[in-house]
Amino acid sequence: MTWLIKVIMFVCIVPTVILMYMLGFSKNPGRKKLILGVRDNPKFHEGEGQKKFDAIVDSARNGGLIITVAVVIMSIIMLFLPVTGNTLLAWVLLVFALFLVAVPYGKGNTELKNLKRQLGITKSGVTYTDITSTNVVHALKLPWVILPNALALIGTIAAVLIDLGVTGVTAAAEKYALTTMSLSFLFVSVILVPLAVMMDNTRNMVISRDSNINANYNRAKKKTWADIFVAMSWVNTLCLIAYDIVLVFTDSEAGVYVGIVAYVVVLMAIVIIGVINQNQIERRYERDTELELQDDDDNWILGMFYYNKNDTRLNVEKRFGYGGTVNLAHPAGKVIGVVSLLVLVGSVILIIYLNATGQLDTSAGV
Amino acid sequence: MIIRIDEYSDVPIYMQIRNQIVMGISSGELKPGEQLPTVRALALEIGINTMTVSKTYQLLKQEGYIMTDRKNGARVRENISQSGVISEENKTELRRIVSEARLSGVAKETLKNLIDEFY
Repeated sequence: MTWLIKVIMFVCIVPTVILMYMLGFSKNPGRKKLILGVRDNPKFHEGEGQKKFDAIVDSARNGGLIITVAVVIMSIIMLFLPVTGNTLLAWVLLVFALFLVAVPYGKGNTELKNLKRQLGITKSGVTYTDITSTNVVHALKLPWVILPNALALIGTIAAVLIDLGVTGVTAAAEKYALTTMSLSFLFVSVILVPLAVMMDNTRNMVISRDSNINANYNRAKKKTWADIFVAMSWVNTLCLIAYDIVLVFTDSEAGVYVGIVAYVVVLMAIVIIGVINQNQIERRYERDTELELQDDDDNWILGMFYYNKNDTRLNVEKRFGYGGTVNLAHPAGKVIGVVSLLVLVGSVILIIYLNATGQLDTSAGV
Repeated sequence: MIIRIDEYSDVPIYMQIRNQIVMGISSGELKPGEQLPTVRALALEIGINTMTVSKTYQLLKQEGYIMTDRKNGARVRENISQSGVISEENKTELRRIVSEARLSGVAKETLKNLIDEFY
């Protein structure tokens, strides 16, 4: 069943890289509020400015496209290679290669910021806040996201009890397979709840002088987020429960892998639907946008990492990709940033170590 | 109601918020008894320190525009006391505006029309 491992990796990597490319490098940059993480400005579309702007955007788009195509081709080639420790290592490194798509984005971001300076575009320093919708616009119904994740916790406890032999039921799968599988899904649950709350509490955007428009716009966006997290929570929990049941009765390795492929495909579909919905909302409210957006481009390092000492917020909406990110100048943001970096570097070192010691070969069944 | 904060303005941020809330109450955008956001929520929404918003609310409370209590937070006062007198500070500000307008060649009538519009 090693071919299914390759399918899982392929299903994870290819849609992600395509989505990253589509979100980072817009086909119609002139129609977006942000281009390569830089706020659009009328001076970008006048005379010499337009030429330089087009050159920067085209270069970034081409760079992003080359990396995307390279990752897709590599994934296709690796589908046909036998599963060994080395190819498993290559697959994992290919996951990290996804970050390379951010390189032309970051380069383009820096060039556009330089162009802003050349064109004499200075930030206005103006921020708008709608006090009517402060702390009022929310779309997440907390019980709807807690309920599935609480069920996941119950499912995990049941799995542990079965594996410990407390329930008198003996699982057909090998010892502790049930617990390991359930804990993996529970780990996702534990991440989903705070993320859902975080996205529901992101700052409301002020696009209009009409408070009702602002409230509707922000509520629509937060509703999309809430729906994504609720859907993901239910999918995650249903998978956990399905695995608990399947592993009690059978020890089918194929069933496990097929389930994982289906799980990843459904999660990807949820994210894609979410992105489509968000784009539709942006288009719907395009004509209602009458206020100038805050120019905080300089607080976005490479257009990806938010660092603003004067901002007390922890979570902000991402500029590259889809979702939220943290303010790295916030004390909690610094901790999250360092931990994420350590996990990332640690994972690469661990995988290389496992391959060097031949343990990846064992996992691959070689 | 929309608040516009200019970080490059000479007017401190707490004063910018205060001025716009006063204008909101005067124009009717903020109704008597209307709930204002909590200090923490407003600070997070604007992305400024809670102390700045707290200072604004204390000032508005002192001036009699809002009332605050632990249970209900901050609300616009139902009955704002009307002294019928323009403060010395505002008179000085008005004098400055009129002077600048005169130096710019703005007609008295235009100024009066503006006052009628804003009143």
